[in-house]
Amino acid sequence: MSFYSPVRTNASEVAESDRLHLLKYAEDPNQCSIDTYVQRGGYGAWRKALTSMKPEEVITAIKDSGLRGRGGAGFPTGMKWGFVPKDSPKPRYLICNADESEPGTCKDRVIMERDPHAMIEGMAIAAYAIGSHLMFVYIRGEFAHCADQVEKAMNEAYAQGQLGKNIHGSGYDLDMIVHTGGGAYICGEETALLNSLEGLRGMSRIRPPFPAVAGLYGCPTIVNNVESLASVPHIINRGADWYRSLGTEKSAGSKLFSLSGHIKQPGNYEVELGFSLKTLIYDPKYGGGILDDKKLKGVIPGGASTPLLTPDMIEVGLDYESLPEKGSMLGSGAVIVFHEETCIVWVIQRLIHFFRHESCGKCTPCHEGTAWLEKLINRVESGKGEEGDIEKIDDICSNILGRTVCPLGDAAVMPIQSAIELYRDEWEHHIRHGKCLVKSQFGLK
Amino acid sequence: MAEAVTKKAPSNKATVTLTIDGRSVTVDKGTTVLEAARSLGIHVPTFCWHPKLKSVGSCRMCYVEIEKMPKLQVSCATEAMDGMVVATDSDLVKQGRRAVIEFILMNHPLDCPTCDQGGECQLQDLTFAHAIDDSRFAFQKERFVEDGSVSTFDDVQIGPEIMLNRNRCIQCYKCVRANKEAFGEFDLGAFERGNITEINAAPGRQVDNPFSGNLAEICPVGALTGMDWRYKIRVWLTKTVSSICPFTASGVNTLMYMDETKNRIYRTTSRRNDEIDDGWLSNVSRYAYQVVHADDRLLTPFIRRDGKQVEATWDEALDLIAKRLSDIQDQKGCVCIGGLVSPRLDNATLYGFNKLMRHVIGTNNVDYRTEYRMLPQTPEDHYQAACSQPIRISDVDDSDVIVVFGSDMLKEHPNLYLRIRKAFNFGAARIFILNPYSTKASDVAELEMVYHAGMDEVALGAVCLTAVEKGIVSSDETDRLREAIAFDSASAAALACGLEPDHLELMARAMAEARKVTFLAGEIISRSREREPIAAAICNLNRLFSINTKGQFGILPGHSNSRGAHHLGLAPDPPASIKAKLRSLWGQYPDTETNTTDSMMVQMRKEEIDGLIIMGANPVMLYPDRAFARESLEKLDFLVVSDLFETETTELADVVLPLSSWAEYTGDYVNLEGRVQTASKAIHPIGDSRPGYAIVEAIADRLENTLYTAEDYRRDEIDTMLEVDTACPVPNLYVPSKGGQDEDDAEYPIALMIGDDPHHRGHYTEKSASLTSHVGEAYLELSPDLAAGHEIKEGDSVRIESPVGKVVLPARISEHIRNDIVFVPRNFPSAPVTSLLMRKRRIDRVRISKVVR
Amino acid sequence: MNVVLRAIGNVFWSMPKGLAVTFKHLFKKPVTLDYPHQKKPMSPRYRGLHYLERYDDGSERCVCCGLCAAACPADCIYMEPEENEKGERRARIYEINMLRCIFCGYCEEACPEEAIFLGREYEFSDYDRDSFIYTKVQMLVTSPRKDNPFKWIIRKVRRVYGVPEPSL
Repeated sequence: MSFYSPVRTNASEVAESDRLHLLKYAEDPNQCSIDTYVQRGGYGAWRKALTSMKPEEVITAIKDSGLRGRGGAGFPTGMKWGFVPKDSPKPRYLICNADESEPGTCKDRVIMERDPHAMIEGMAIAAYAIGSHLMFVYIRGEFAHCADQVEKAMNEAYAQGQLGKNIHGSGYDLDMIVHTGGGAYICGEETALLNSLEGLRGMSRIRPPFPAVAGLYGCPTIVNNVESLASVPHIINRGADWYRSLGTEKSAGSKLFSLSGHIKQPGNYEVELGFSLKTLIYDPKYGGGILDDKKLKGVIPGGASTPLLTPDMIEVGLDYESLPEKGSMLGSGAVIVFHEETCIVWVIQRLIHFFRHESCGKCTPCHEGTAWLEKLINRVESGKGEEGDIEKIDDICSNILGRTVCPLGDAAVMPIQSAIELYRDEWEHHIRHGKCLVKSQFGLK
Repeated sequence: MAEAVTKKAPSNKATVTLTIDGRSVTVDKGTTVLEAARSLGIHVPTFCWHPKLKSVGSCRMCYVEIEKMPKLQVSCATEAMDGMVVATDSDLVKQGRRAVIEFILMNHPLDCPTCDQGGECQLQDLTFAHAIDDSRFAFQKERFVEDGSVSTFDDVQIGPEIMLNRNRCIQCYKCVRANKEAFGEFDLGAFERGNITEINAAPGRQVDNPFSGNLAEICPVGALTGMDWRYKIRVWLTKTVSSICPFTASGVNTLMYMDETKNRIYRTTSRRNDEIDDGWLSNVSRYAYQVVHADDRLLTPFIRRDGKQVEATWDEALDLIAKRLSDIQDQKGCVCIGGLVSPRLDNATLYGFNKLMRHVIGTNNVDYRTEYRMLPQTPEDHYQAACSQPIRISDVDDSDVIVVFGSDMLKEHPNLYLRIRKAFNFGAARIFILNPYSTKASDVAELEMVYHAGMDEVALGAVCLTAVEKGIVSSDETDRLREAIAFDSASAAALACGLEPDHLELMARAMAEARKVTFLAGEIISRSREREPIAAAICNLNRLFSINTKGQFGILPGHSNSRGAHHLGLAPDPPASIKAKLRSLWGQYPDTETNTTDSMMVQMRKEEIDGLIIMGANPVMLYPDRAFARESLEKLDFLVVSDLFETETTELADVVLPLSSWAEYTGDYVNLEGRVQTASKAIHPIGDSRPGYAIVEAIADRLENTLYTAEDYRRDEIDTMLEVDTACPVPNLYVPSKGGQDEDDAEYPIALMIGDDPHHRGHYTEKSASLTSHVGEAYLELSPDLAAGHEIKEGDSVRIESPVGKVVLPARISEHIRNDIVFVPRNFPSAPVTSLLMRKRRIDRVRISKVVR
Repeated sequence: MNVVLRAIGNVFWSMPKGLAVTFKHLFKKPVTLDYPHQKKPMSPRYRGLHYLERYDDGSERCVCCGLCAAACPADCIYMEPEENEKGERRARIYEINMLRCIFCGYCEEACPEEAIFLGREYEFSDYDRDSFIYTKVQMLVTSPRKDNPFKWIIRKVRRVYGVPEPSL
């Protein structure tokens, strides 16, 4: 299949497990075809929801399951659906946020590439739950192949009557539109996504009003991540209690983790929430250890926007509660691993370049602050830093943190602040000696 | 006050009480913390916030600290909640704001010495206020360089009057938002992202919309500056004088920046009045001040000697006027003298003129409507009633249904046009437009209905009939109504004027269901020969839908003091109440024959009127039959014209008196609501010109009949005249509303519409360089199909022929216009479009052909 | 009696005493200057006639921002800006009324472009008052002044980004 990217997954383990479910058929190219999908019980949950459940029951089921948004913020999905005003005369919209652009994250891509019908089924159930008759998939511009795959799946679903008018004789109409973005990271933020979908500049909106009340074209709108929606059919099929039994008490379910960096077996792995980060990195089933058996230097546990973890902090469960205790976040589940020969200042330089480039230009602290930070960090990295630069960087970070409309500002500075806190000696070495501590330690050029 | 402009009923909205800096304040629910703080007089600094735009919270300057909220909050986007405890001045807030200014100054070029915003720059002020004297930023600043930039400071001219410097931009997006939200224009946009975000004109376009001047005004820094203010004077060297715009009937409030020592006005900005203009000025209002300083202002009086006009002193001119007027009076009687006056002049001038004509000379030949077809006809009761209905501009905001009938709002009342947009964007208004040609407001309209030119009253009748037939409104006088409309069925009426019956039903239903309706008719009605039947149709509609009880309706006056002229009795035959007042003031009132502009001209041709005084008006150019007006005035024995400039009319004059403009003396004007507003004297009269009231009083003095025995009496008398207790009652009966139609003429198939260009108003504005830089010459606006039929391309010369005249104009192809109609602006003396018109026709018809070189 | 004698004695004694002083000065260096032929060197901080400085590339420094006029306590500066051929702002008219000027140096202090300086020139006199209104042409130096006392501090090039801004 040309749509496939050769990403390693733990599909075989998932297939054996009774608990894991998202990547069950990830290695089977036939899963993309609707016939195989239906044969394997696909669209059963959609039929079940449509024919035997009321929308409120679906919402209750999702609420009970404890499913939380997999896009990064971890907001309870069922509660979000419940925010849609019941008596609004306006149309409602469901949007699937497939604008996956966080560096290190490629979990949604795997679902769209290898199991697009799961996403469409989840979307359909969600749309039914909130009473929407039109749903959108907003796919990142660079994921042209995913858009093709999803569009193909959508056409199949239309052809089979899973979408369209009077689905399964229930009298319920549902239409779907696949939209590809222009490739801006900020459009993964839900209000910026709405603006982009409306044809405006991709800039976040002020909240309140929240999209659930006034979103796309001022109408109630729910924006959910691909992975959250792909989990929905499983919850409907197997019940909220089953889903709740997965993972930890507060973080129910399983989640995809994209493992990348200096690791032997990078790939997408589905594990239950609360799974140990250390096992994920070192277990041969998953990461299989650090590249070239070097020592671990640090981990970004949840995508480029989360604070770093040092090796002594990786004995931690991957869930929404344990990671914040260590000062980091679960984020989108992109685990980036660095081995000992990595210069942290260089890592941060790469990150800040990304965030500077992706700042939308709305909030002053973000668009000016990230540019300043990039200049300063470039200077420090190149060995031309001055005494006081670290404090200056830290101060600029604190002037950005929590002072912007959307979380991009926070995302840009949190790894920097944690890198300064955890690896201050490297920063200081860069400034005092004008060269990199790691390079001089390992005799690298 | 003329008509008591009633106060809005206090809103019975829910309120919230919060504490700001230890002071408690109660505000309406939905108010932002920023507005609540400002209502307490606490200044929260902002860059991106604008009272008339939606908050975006992009500059982050308006931080406040709110108890129980861990982070700093932007007050412009935080709704005030009950029990909130807000600190606007805490150390954390100050630190946050300092940080924001530091960020903004990071890439700001600090070229204040060369920046025209210097001295009134919000960034300068706030930098000073936060005592930021150094920068921690030690890198090269970002710079936008463009080849072919206007200057080494990277200035780019993005419109006729707008200069852009992207380096100074702080990305508050106020300009883009105002352009989009308030003006509905899309010629300015933001490009790129992050710290290299730039504001620029849309690709391939110029920022030349009719409200573009506002963009430079609202820019908090010097990123967008006005070309008319570029490198002229520092703002601290100017004094501001509050004035009003003499070119808009709504009486937009303005502020004039003038230099006393040079006796010169440098620019005009808005003086926000939420009741009238919301702080937006159309370019006409903004750049009108340049008319005052036009090079060809009349500076001295002229007297015709041996067929040539030669310079003269005021004494010579006034003596001559007095002598010739007395001669005419003695020889042929006072009825042989007439007077025409412009409704743009102030109350004192208009009243003085009236008193001069009626009291001193003793004639009823007075008129102020010199641009309308003033054929003698039956009394215009309905028209007068519809014109003097109480209208409140701010009531447009919360109307449910707004109907615009026979008015090109953008061109006639730009501020009402913005109000309508606001009602659509910020309120929940449904907008219906009924016009003989499509207008710019159509993009906010739920329905724009374009009827055949000259079928105005039929279109309204069709609305009424539809409502009755479909049972949308019930009336026990249905038969009378049917009779009045003179059509059997709604569909027949709709068909006759080219409208869809379904559309009419939709509109009728909306009007019937609405809680508050605003019905506005405009100049297309007033200029029509059949304005009385159309006004009757409007009154019928009002009666059927009871618009005046649940909203407002009326025909809007066309000029800045039309309403004042009406109240001061300048109409040829003013209503009885006004006559009675004048009689009691003067002790007498002439009982001679009353003549309108048209009948005066007829009498001039018969040499029954020998002397005419014209003030500020230009009938030769603007009366809808140029040849007729010119020939009539040429027959006069003695013509006195007082004007700012040499015009087509002053060429015929025996005595030309230089008139001062509105900026050169303090005068009161009555706007379309009946609100009396003052335009203060900004500069001393230019040259030897004199204010209008001084001229009429001087003429009266020479005629040995002083107008006022004391200075105060003038004001007292005018105040008496403007004390209008109640509006003219609406005739409460269905009356026939069928107007006459012209005979068809197959040779001239296309209807010609004459009006103002959006950048011009009447006959002075072409003297303003900034306005002519937007639109500098007349054009013919026609539809693409019509153009294709005549093989006309954009910019081709087109010959427009009517039975009486011929004009050649460049073509401008517009999607907005129907195939059987063309539009020509009347503002340019170089294109005498009124020479195509015939005063007796209802709709002027022309034929067009491409000029082949 | 004694008093009288002493007074007489004083009269005779004081004459040669005074003359002695006079003659002593014949051999001392004179404190005055032979003014029109000799000129007194002024202190570097002396505030004399104004001059308008140029950049090293010959362009005018003054952008006619109006701050000197705003700072002037005697209100003796008058200016009108214009746009030059490069689109830059410069003074069309720049006049100082030297009869009004109190040579306080505030204009120099206020100038953000380092354009106006008070020189050491003090000889300016004329026969009519009009000629004391010095125009831009009279004050503008033909080339950057070598003896500018602030030479070490002022910017060499125009502030149009070309070089990194000095960290203030």
